[in-house]
Amino acid sequence: MVIVKRKELSLRERLYLPEVVRALSFTFRALFKRKITRQYPEEGLPVTEVTRGQPRLTLLEDGENLACVSCGLCEAACPAYAITIDGQETDRFIEREPERFEIDMLRCILCGFCEEACPKDAIFMSDELELADFTREALIYDIDKLKRPKAALQKRIDYFYKVNDRWRKPSSTS
Amino acid sequence: MEDFLVILLKVAAIYGGVIGTAALYTLAERKVAAWIQYRIGPNRVGPWGLLQPLADGVKFIFKEELVPAGANKLLFRLAPMMSAVPAMLTIAVVPFAGDMTLFGVDTFGAIAKIDMSAFYVVAIGGLGVYGIILGGWSSNSKYSLMGGLRASAQMVSYELSLLLGILSIVVVSGSADLYDIVDAQSGAIWRWNAFQQPLAFGLFVIATFAETNRHPFDFAECEPELVAGFHTEYSSMKFALFFLGEYCAMIVMASLTTTFFLGGFEVPFWADAPWVIQLAAFGAKTAFFLFLFLWVRWTLPRFRFDQLMSLGWKVMLPLSLLNVFLYGALTSFGAFGD
Repeated sequence: MVIVKRKELSLRERLYLPEVVRALSFTFRALFKRKITRQYPEEGLPVTEVTRGQPRLTLLEDGENLACVSCGLCEAACPAYAITIDGQETDRFIEREPERFEIDMLRCILCGFCEEACPKDAIFMSDELELADFTREALIYDIDKLKRPKAALQKRIDYFYKVNDRWRKPSSTS
Repeated sequence: MEDFLVILLKVAAIYGGVIGTAALYTLAERKVAAWIQYRIGPNRVGPWGLLQPLADGVKFIFKEELVPAGANKLLFRLAPMMSAVPAMLTIAVVPFAGDMTLFGVDTFGAIAKIDMSAFYVVAIGGLGVYGIILGGWSSNSKYSLMGGLRASAQMVSYELSLLLGILSIVVVSGSADLYDIVDAQSGAIWRWNAFQQPLAFGLFVIATFAETNRHPFDFAECEPELVAGFHTEYSSMKFALFFLGEYCAMIVMASLTTTFFLGGFEVPFWADAPWVIQLAAFGAKTAFFLFLFLWVRWTLPRFRFDQLMSLGWKVMLPLSLLNVFLYGALTSFGAFGD
């Protein structure tokens, strides 16, 4: 049991009106204070170094082909079963590439496991945070919607290696 | 014929003005609330959100009209009107400006000029509570009923202080005509009743808050306990009508406080100002009280119901009676004769 001792009010406080005046002067000053509202669609959300947004696929230096070799590790790591990959063979040196790579953004929980699972630095969490459309189908992103030039993801890649240096050596993306 | 047209014009201007002000006042409420809480407030509809009231109106029209089962249908439909109409009727005698000439017709800045307008205001204004009580009772809902009951108890307690405040003004001014009351305050600024009778002014303002069911006395609504009080079961335009009634009542009360205590349309030290300037002075004084309503609402927490009652009966009423006796005695000894 807790016994709360009420504070003895002074005469000024018991008269109530002086305290009302004090409160009113406080709120009147608040009228002119700086506003802290963020006007969202115009003013974006703050993007910092550690921002972990939606996953995106990186393109190789040639800007045309994906770094992905469709090994399926991210698909297996995904706790929400958001990733679907169909692989196919290719004449390029890496021999395999995805024919279909879809992330169901409605299932994705932005956990970043795919990013950690990937051995080829092909998928990274971008700083893109906004997700809205009119149908569910439109929110199942395919390769065209997912691919990004590597420069667009560079900030996240640098941060990723900085924190993961302890147990993982940088590997080449080729 | 021209007299008739001028009266029609005045009626249209005053009612249009009051309803327009009420619409803007709902926006002002949200804006002031936002500023006090370091927010910006509605700013998406039109420049500075000025069309927000219009958007709200459209929204209300498209809402579903719901009458709860077991409600008294007639009274349920009647109640919103009964809360909006008295406020509108009261505004008819409020003097917005002094004598004026419109299109060659000599007239005055109010819809009606009657001898007992100070008491007409109280009599009609007191009817406003019926809308709330009937709305609460006819909804067949426990929350609404509690809201209505509280509103009636509150109105009865605070109407006394309101009336006694007006009474002491009437005694000192020697007339119950609002125009005479305003005339008695003309000239120097210290002739305003707010400075002549500071005690009555303070009590009147507090009673005004209770009369219009505003914070810190909004027991008819009282969200945390009664959901939304008397209008819990109301939706669509019926709810909007309650809302309009509440804001019109606030405008009426603000203009009455101006008339009784801040010299109405009188411009200090300029007794025969043109009517446009008088109207502007009246608007400025009323706007101050309208702002006060918002300012207090977003500052003070709600009272407890027993605190409200003990404040009304044990503090406000004795002080009001004392005030009436004091100023009655002073007047009969000729302190205010000029």
